[in-house]
Amino acid sequence: MTIKEKGYTHWDGEFLDKKLPWWPITRYGIKLTFRKKFFKLIFPMSLLPAVVFLAGIYVSERLEDFKFMFRESVPFLQINPAYFKTYLVDNFMLFIMVIIVIFCGAGLISDDLKHNSLQLYFARPLKKRDYFFGKTAVIVFFLFILTLVPGLVFIIMKLIFAGSFKFFLSYPWLPLAVIGYSIFVTAFFSFYVLFLSSLSKNRRYVAILIFGIYLFSDIFGAVFYEYFHNHYFSLISLRANIQQVGAFIFSQKTPYPIPWFYSLLVLTAICVLAGLVLKKKVRGVEIVK
Amino acid sequence: MKSVIETEHLSKWYGNVLGLSDVSLQIESGITGILGPNGAGKSTFLKLISGQIKPNIGTSAIKGERIWNNYRLFSNIGFCPEQDAFYEDLTGWQFMTGLLRLFHFSPSERESRAREALEIVELMEDKDRIIKSYSRGMRQRLKVAQAIAHDPEIIILDEPLNGLDPLGRRKIIRLIKTYKSEGRTIIVSSHVLPEIEAMTKRIILIHQGKIFAQGDIHYIRDLIEAHPHIVSVKCSDPRQLASKFIQEDFVLNVNFSSAEDTLLVETNNRDKFFSLLPPLIVKHNIEVEEITSPDDNLQAVFDYLVGK
Amino acid sequence: MSIEVKDIHFSYGKIKALDGVSLDLSQGAIGLLGPNGAGKSTLIRIMLGFLSPDGGEGRILDYDIKSQQAEIRRYVGYMPEDDCFIPELDAVSFTSYLGELSGMPRQEAMKRAHEVLYYVGLEESRYRKVETYSAGMKLRLKLAQSLVHDPKLIFLDEPTSGLDPQGRTEILELIIDISSKKDIQVLISSHILPDIEMTCSYVVILNKGIVVSEGEISKLKEIRDLYEIKVMGEAQVFLRKLKDLKCRVEETEDGILKVYTPPNYNRQEFFRIAAEEKIQLRHFVRSQSSLEDLFAEAVGVD
Repeated sequence: MTIKEKGYTHWDGEFLDKKLPWWPITRYGIKLTFRKKFFKLIFPMSLLPAVVFLAGIYVSERLEDFKFMFRESVPFLQINPAYFKTYLVDNFMLFIMVIIVIFCGAGLISDDLKHNSLQLYFARPLKKRDYFFGKTAVIVFFLFILTLVPGLVFIIMKLIFAGSFKFFLSYPWLPLAVIGYSIFVTAFFSFYVLFLSSLSKNRRYVAILIFGIYLFSDIFGAVFYEYFHNHYFSLISLRANIQQVGAFIFSQKTPYPIPWFYSLLVLTAICVLAGLVLKKKVRGVEIVK
Repeated sequence: MKSVIETEHLSKWYGNVLGLSDVSLQIESGITGILGPNGAGKSTFLKLISGQIKPNIGTSAIKGERIWNNYRLFSNIGFCPEQDAFYEDLTGWQFMTGLLRLFHFSPSERESRAREALEIVELMEDKDRIIKSYSRGMRQRLKVAQAIAHDPEIIILDEPLNGLDPLGRRKIIRLIKTYKSEGRTIIVSSHVLPEIEAMTKRIILIHQGKIFAQGDIHYIRDLIEAHPHIVSVKCSDPRQLASKFIQEDFVLNVNFSSAEDTLLVETNNRDKFFSLLPPLIVKHNIEVEEITSPDDNLQAVFDYLVGK
Repeated sequence: MSIEVKDIHFSYGKIKALDGVSLDLSQGAIGLLGPNGAGKSTLIRIMLGFLSPDGGEGRILDYDIKSQQAEIRRYVGYMPEDDCFIPELDAVSFTSYLGELSGMPRQEAMKRAHEVLYYVGLEESRYRKVETYSAGMKLRLKLAQSLVHDPKLIFLDEPTSGLDPQGRTEILELIIDISSKKDIQVLISSHILPDIEMTCSYVVILNKGIVVSEGEISKLKEIRDLYEIKVMGEAQVFLRKLKDLKCRVEETEDGILKVYTPPNYNRQEFFRIAAEEKIQLRHFVRSQSSLEDLFAEAVGVD
C-alpha cells in the first residue's frame, strides 16, 4: 500500500538521447499551422493544381490510345519536362507557395519575439542550430507537399499509366531535376520567410512583407523593363529569378534572355544576407538587458 | 483628527462589471495603506477619490468640496498610476516640464520644480534620455516624480514600489514618511504587505468592491473573533510551560514547533494569558528568548478576512 | 556542489557586468540579491549557458559552464522574469512541448505536464489557451514549465512580481515545498526582501558585478544588546525599574519599548519585574539587524 503525499513529486522517467532535438518544434509548428483560420480551406485548394496535372497525365495516356481519332498530332498534353516545369515553376504555383508560407511561416519567429519565448527555448538543451532547423522544417514540410511530392508522384504515375519505362528512359534526369528544384525553391523560401519573420514582432506585418516584397519586386522589375528596355532589370523580381533558375533545371528556354546563373547569384545573396541577419537577431534576444 | 477625504456611498461599475460598491469612509492626514486582491476595486477607489472618474452613485469630497469636475482641487492632488502612462518619445525632462505647464507654472518655476522632483527620485542624470529607453525602475520613479512635482497636499500612489529594487523601495518609503511628517495625506497601495506595514499601521482593505476593514491593523485583528490569537513563546522548556497552561480554560490549543524550542498557544483571552505568563516563567525558571504574536500582523489580517 | 563558479568576468561592450564573481553553493534555497544593474541576470544567464563568460570558469551540477551547456540546461529549470509563453497552445501542450524540448519522451512529457500543472494550481484551467491567462496564472505557468523536466537546480527570476498577497503567499509556499526536497536546489533572484527572508536560508548579495556579502541569513544578522518589548499595564513602573538596572530605554511612536541592556545583564530580570508588578509582556524580541539592513550595508548606502 502506498500513499501519494501532498507536495512536489519527482519524475521517474529517463531522458531520451534524441538524435533530432528539433523535431518537437517542427511537429508543433505544423500542428499550429493547421489550427489557423482558413488554412483548412486553403491547403486543400493549394493541392488542386496537382490533381489537375495528375489527371492530365492520365488523359494524355488515354489520348495516345485514341490517337487515330485525330487527324493531326495533338500539340497539347505532351508529358515531358516542360509539363513538369509548367506545374512547378509557373506563376500560379509560385503564388500558391507564397500564400502557404504566409500561413505556416510568418509567425515562426515573430511570435517568439513578441511573447519573449526565445528564452524558453534556449533554457532547454537546444542549440541555436536546432531552433532554426526545427522552424525551417515546418516550411520545408509544406513546400515539399506542393513541389517534391507531386513531382515524384507525377513521374511514378506516368510510368504506371504508360505501363513502360520508356518515359523514364527518355528523361532519366527528370527525377533529379524535380528533387533539385524542390530543394532550391524550398531553401529560398525558408530563408526568405524566416528572415522576414525575425524582423518584426507582429505576425501580420510579416505576412504583408512576405507577400508585398514578392509582389512589388515583380512589379518594379516589370516597370523598369518597360522604361529602360533592359532585361537585366528582371533580376529585381524574385519571381523572375526563381523561374530563370527553374527553367534551367528543367533544361527549358529561360523566360528572359539573360544568363540563369545571375538569378541564382541574386537569390543566393539574399539567402546569405538573411542567414546573417537571423543569426544576429536571435542572439540579440539572448543579450537583452 | 479632521478627515481630509470623505466618501459617501461611493459606487462605480463599468457596464456590468463591478468596480466599487457603496463605500463610505473618511481618510485623515498621514499615511493610509490600501490593499486587496487583484480586481478588488483598489484602483477604481483611487481614481474615484482623485476625481478621475465619475461615480455612478455617491460622492467623494476633499475637505468638504466635491471632487468630481472640480478641477481647482486637482492642483492639490498628486497621482501615480499603476500602469505605465508616458509619452514614450519625450525625454524625462520634457515629460516633467510639460506636465507642470498644465498647472500654469511660470517657465522658471517649471524648471525648478521639475529639477527638484527629479532630484528626489534620482533621475537627474537620465533626464535627457527618452522615456522609451528607461528601465522599469526608472519609469516607476518618473511616475512618482510627476506625482510630487507640483507639491500637492494629497498624494495618491498606486503600487509605487512595483518594479523597484530594494534600494529604490527603501528610498520611496522614506520619502513617503517625510511627506507624512510634513502633515500631508498619502494614500498608497501595495501588494507586498510587509512594505505597507513598514509605512503605516492604518489600512483600508478592499475586497469584492467593498471595504472589508479600515483602521489600525492591531485593532482590526482584535475584532476578528473567528480566529483566536496565537502567541508564540520561544523558550528552554516549552513542554513544561505548556503543561501549566493546558489546564486553563482560556487556552484553546497548544502546539509545538518542529524545532522543539517554541510553544504556540491559541487563546481567546490574551489578557489572562499574558498576566499569567511572567509569574510562570519566573517560578519555573524558564529561559525565554522570544514572545511574539505570529498572527497579529497585516498578513494574518489579510488572510483571515480575504482568504478562502 | 551544485553551483561552483570561479572569478567570472563578463562585459557588454564597455560596460562591465560581472567583475570576478566566485561562488560555491550547495544549500537548499539561495537568495540572489542586488540593486538593478548589479549583474544578477547576467550571472544567471551565464550559469544557464546563455552567455559565455569573458573570463573565469565554473561548474553547474558538475557540468562545465563553457563546454557542457546543453547538459546543464537539461538538468536546470529556469523561470524567466518577463512574461513569456507560446501563443495558441493550451497550458498542457505548452508545458509538455517544453518538456519534450528538454528531451523527455512525448508521452512522458504529457503525463508530467498534467502533474506539474496540478502542482502549481492550474488544474482547472489547464486546457485553456495560454494567451487568455491572467498575469498570476501566467506566472504559475512559468513555474510549471521550469519544473516539468524535474530539474535538480531551479533558477527563479522575480517569481512573485505583480502578484496580489494571496497569490504571493501561494507561490512562496510552493517554492518552500520544492526547496524542502533535499535533492533540489533553488536559486531565487528577487527585489522583494520579505520574500527572500521567507523562502531562503542563504543569501548572496551582488553589487556592481562583485559579491559584496554572502552567507546564512541567520548568521549574517547581527544580534544586538537591544530588546524590543511591548508592555500592557503600568509601563512607567516598568521603565523605572529597568533604569535602576542601568538599562537605557527608548519609546517608539507605535508603543514599542527599545531597551538597551548593559553588559552581563540577565534576561530573566525582565520577567521578574513583570511578575512583581503584574505587567504583561505582549511582545518580547531580541533585536537583530533586518535583511534590509544587511542589504543596505552590503551595497553601501545608509
